[in-house]
Amino acid sequence: MRRASLMCLLSGLWPATADDLFVREVRPLLQEHCFGCHSGAAAQGKLDLSAPADLARVVKAGTLYQAVAHTGPVRMPLGKPQLPAAALAKIAGWIRAGAEVAPQRHWAFVSPVRPRSAGAGNPIDVFVTAAYKQRGLTPAGPADKRTLFRRVTVDLTGVPPTAAEMRAFLADGTANAYERAVDRLLASPRYGERWGRHWMDIWRYSDWYGYRKTNEVRNSQRHIWQWRDWIVESLNEDRAYSQMVMEMLAGDEIAPADPKVLRATGYLVRNYKRYDRDGWMQDVVDHTSMAFLGLTLKCARCHDHKYDPLSQREYYQFRAFFEPYNVRLDRVPGETNLDKAGLARIYDAKAETPTYLFTGGDVQNPDKSMALKPAIPAVLGKVDAFQSLVVPLEARYPDLREFVHRDLIAAARTEIEKATGPVAKRAAEARLAALESRIAADKAKHAKAADAEKLANTARGLERQAYVFTGEADLEQAQKKLADALRDGGIDEKKVTAAKAELDKAVAALAKKPAEYSPIGEQYPEQSTGRRTALANWIANDTNPLTARVAVNHIWARHFGRGLVESVHDFGQYGKAPTHPELLDFLATELVSNGWRMKPIHRLIVTSSAYRMASTGSETKDPDNQYLWRMNARRMEAEAVRDAVLHTAGELDGTLGGPEVEETQELESMRRSLYIRQAPDVRAEFLSQFDSANPNECYRREESIVPQQALSLANSRLTLEQSRRLAAKLPRDQFVDEAFETVLNRPPSPSERDDALTFLAQQTVLLADPAKLKPFETGVATPLKPSKDPAQRARENLVHVLFNLNEFVTIR
Amino acid sequence: MQRRTFLTQTGLGFTGLALSAAETKPHFTPKAKRVIWLFMIGGASQMETFDPKPALNKYAGKTIDETPFKDTQNSPYVKKNLREVIAGLHKVHPSIYPMQVGFQKRGKSGLEVSDWFPHVGGCIDDIAVVRSMWTTDNNHGAQLQFHTGRHVLEGQFPTIGAWVHYGLGSLNDNLPQFVVLGEPIDTCCGGPWAHGAHYLGPEHDGVQLKVDAKNPLPFASPGPDVYQEEQEREFALIDKLNRATQIQYPEDAALRARIKSYELAFRMQTAVPDVMRLDRETEATRKMYGLDEKITQPFGEICLSARRLVEQGTRFVQIFHGAGGAGAWDAHSNLKTGHEKLSRQTDKPIAGLLQDLKQRGLLDETLVVWCTEFGRTPGAQNNNGRDHHPYGFSVWLAGGGVKGGMAHGATDELGFHAVEDRHYVTDLHATVLHQLGLDPRRLEIPGRKRIELDYGAPIREILA
Repeated sequence: MRRASLMCLLSGLWPATADDLFVREVRPLLQEHCFGCHSGAAAQGKLDLSAPADLARVVKAGTLYQAVAHTGPVRMPLGKPQLPAAALAKIAGWIRAGAEVAPQRHWAFVSPVRPRSAGAGNPIDVFVTAAYKQRGLTPAGPADKRTLFRRVTVDLTGVPPTAAEMRAFLADGTANAYERAVDRLLASPRYGERWGRHWMDIWRYSDWYGYRKTNEVRNSQRHIWQWRDWIVESLNEDRAYSQMVMEMLAGDEIAPADPKVLRATGYLVRNYKRYDRDGWMQDVVDHTSMAFLGLTLKCARCHDHKYDPLSQREYYQFRAFFEPYNVRLDRVPGETNLDKAGLARIYDAKAETPTYLFTGGDVQNPDKSMALKPAIPAVLGKVDAFQSLVVPLEARYPDLREFVHRDLIAAARTEIEKATGPVAKRAAEARLAALESRIAADKAKHAKAADAEKLANTARGLERQAYVFTGEADLEQAQKKLADALRDGGIDEKKVTAAKAELDKAVAALAKKPAEYSPIGEQYPEQSTGRRTALANWIANDTNPLTARVAVNHIWARHFGRGLVESVHDFGQYGKAPTHPELLDFLATELVSNGWRMKPIHRLIVTSSAYRMASTGSETKDPDNQYLWRMNARRMEAEAVRDAVLHTAGELDGTLGGPEVEETQELESMRRSLYIRQAPDVRAEFLSQFDSANPNECYRREESIVPQQALSLANSRLTLEQSRRLAAKLPRDQFVDEAFETVLNRPPSPSERDDALTFLAQQTVLLADPAKLKPFETGVATPLKPSKDPAQRARENLVHVLFNLNEFVTIR
Repeated sequence: MQRRTFLTQTGLGFTGLALSAAETKPHFTPKAKRVIWLFMIGGASQMETFDPKPALNKYAGKTIDETPFKDTQNSPYVKKNLREVIAGLHKVHPSIYPMQVGFQKRGKSGLEVSDWFPHVGGCIDDIAVVRSMWTTDNNHGAQLQFHTGRHVLEGQFPTIGAWVHYGLGSLNDNLPQFVVLGEPIDTCCGGPWAHGAHYLGPEHDGVQLKVDAKNPLPFASPGPDVYQEEQEREFALIDKLNRATQIQYPEDAALRARIKSYELAFRMQTAVPDVMRLDRETEATRKMYGLDEKITQPFGEICLSARRLVEQGTRFVQIFHGAGGAGAWDAHSNLKTGHEKLSRQTDKPIAGLLQDLKQRGLLDETLVVWCTEFGRTPGAQNNNGRDHHPYGFSVWLAGGGVKGGMAHGATDELGFHAVEDRHYVTDLHATVLHQLGLDPRRLEIPGRKRIELDYGAPIREILA
């Protein structure tokens, strides 16, 4: 009994509003009493009460109520008594309330309207202050200058300020010192790295993975780091977010010949799965809808979405935008071996591949009765009409580009130089001749030159000649090996036989009718479907209800530790409602009116009073600080922790971009953490302790506090060695103060200074007599040893302690 | 009653590396000291595990309305028992789907267990099955709900393991007291919140350990260049300086947790690698958990690690099985293939765990709980699966002062509604707390509201 009443109490927490009366009360009645005959295609009397139009008609005519109440000529349910009084009351109540058949459109599916912001100053503060007033909250005061400067520096660049930078900031007494500091930080290339890492979380950056032993790529692609570099560069250049979306989804269609833009398509390249095309498509659909739109379309793969108006069919229609695309590697100047360098990009490979709905989400069970056309979920509208695009020659035949020819010829020349003996040399020369001839034939063919056929014939002859000479060279090689083998007492006849067979084959081929010469490289379709451009145009459109809101919410969440919509990946009905709806809409419209540039949004946020508050205080009315009466203290993300250690020690390598660094180098490399290899099968041990991103899905970082983090900071080579390095750099005079200023961006308090000095003295004494001490028996020795001088080693210890303080890893 | 003082001792009470054991005591004499909580992610079917329903075979293919059990659909529970995220969307699958596996009477008690669990069936005389669980979320938010006792719409709350951690002192200060093994549930369904402490503070969060023979605990030692005395003094200064910061930030739960984490880290750097050394077990023991077979090895290693942890004094081990998305047990289709495989992965390791605890005399004081977020529908979904089913499902308990060889509560003939001795999730929590000597009504934090349903009541009928 207690239970039952409590359940009522629970549902009482969620009072029925007018707009969901239908779903909650009326639809179940119709389902129970009417749908048996009056629903679906075979509905009796052509009245389908599950169709809103039919339902509206009988409501308006008054016949629905009359029928079920038995007060009119038609009496329903047929042959049964009228509905019970309670049911009739519900239906009457719903009709009186306006007979809405569906809940009102969910807020996030309606385009944001710029709210009027009353009051002067930073508009963010207007909205945040309104929430204080509404809830009777008292905001914390402003943070002190040191705390604020460290906070904003880490937030915008991913590393804390140096002691010198802090001093300069504190010394700047001008009125807009803070604003100018913010501008400097936003202009720093470190900004792109910091925020690039955030967006890499959301866009699922992963280096290639698969079977590393055999160098076999099964997921993502080699050289995908160029996409990471594109992200960093785009942010540093303040490229419009909308443009970034366009380039990531359809860079191959909007700039087919621009390798710089093509890098962006790494977003889709990353989803490549060698052995699972369906899983690949699934990732694309699930995460494109979540990352850019905050839609959990993924829930509609096996059945209609349980919470949002997204049908299973619409899931597959969204997939149809991507159905034709595939990935490839194009050559880049200076390297002909695609394993060593290349550009990973996408293109439309198969325009005609149909998209089917998979019954129950089962790839084995496609509904082939209907091929689905690309479309976005109807609740969000439609994409503009589109048509397929012609792919320019250099994009559909990338190896026809001059630099490829140059590089191939250079490589062939190197082969000639390397060849030993006349037979091998003749073969290498023949290959060069054939290559040059094939290039000429290729060029003539695509230029539709008059001599194309003649050149093709020449190329065919020279290619076959090269083939024969190469066969002979191989045979000679094999014979030589045979002789060597015989001399060593073994026999390698197999190889000789194989080489002989090859020669015979080549000679036989000479006698045959001429075949085609082989073109220099792979050629791709002449058309691209335009589907992804259409989708991207819609997502990146100024009026899209979701895109800008989702983007600014991600930005906000990474400045405040929590999104205005807490469920950053889900703006649907299952997601959390925004705590400050007007502020969210203000920021979204502000982003759009700034031409989708993000730096102005950052600037607006970090110069607000809300952002500049202290993180202290308590408030029983809002203990979780949903309404931002103080700043949230946050733990640095994994990358920031590692980068901060290196940066503080003055050892961080500022090089931007380039191929990924092996994850095994994470404790030795001085590069920023975002350049360290990451993939689902890769575990950079140190970073993973601090909740580094799961490359398969990370819309929000976890912020755990576990003892393993303490061990990582206390026992890893990273902090041990960097403490030794930094201690050697700091002046011995005023060491304690300098160490605090450098590591924590503040001087020690008098008692901390005393504690530190006592520690130094005691540790020096302790270390002076190592014979009495017990070294650790397990673990690995570090290449950079502790100082032999006990006093210096004590100083190293102190720096090590400071790296281990909660304060160091906290963005206060 | 407030179990721990929430205002920190600031820097004044510096205790160096003093231990925190015995800071808290049970409310009354406990029957059990520790808990191993086995959670099957996705919703294991009640009618293919521990709650046989012959009626399903008899009426296979018929609609529920065509059976004598039509009334199940008019039961008030249909609505009262269900709290959908968006109302009105819950579907009933009318076409009865027969049981996909046979059942045998097992043990002296003759309690029926499905043929997919022959090994666990062999331990049935130590097990009390509760066949009348219910929850309110018909979707996988129920995973979070199963650990917090609150519907996902209400937000995040402390979980059962965190309450235990909060309520009781340590059994071994060198080991984390609340450990998570196996890959936790996906962020879709609660993620780390399902082993989180929320307002109790992150120091009560579950500590995730990996079963990895080569590297049981990363960065467990600074290496031979560092002296133990040198490190110990560093930790003392870290502690002192961190505590000094508390004067400025007395409300900062993260700082408090960080301080605790350093205390524990210092002690566990040697203790945890020792505990996680499964190679120290005899061949016979390893076999018992199925470590010699590929299909049982991964979960066997987890179960064996759990035994080693509780043996050494970890209080609460929360084990997850079937991680990824909504969970491997989420059998919307191909139930037979899926459940059979998942049962094989877990049956022998779980039985090995029960037998091993018993032979070591640990079972009496170790409460083992097998559970899942909800059951599955009597009706078929996609021809060969079952949908989510919050109305009635099974869990079981063993050891720790629980009776064996009994089934408590019942679902109706179809396995649709829990009809006898119905128990909401928090009754299970209350049972666990009760056996540990804690009164759920006395575990409270000022300013944080727990509603009545959260407390639950111990399932006394299964207690010895």
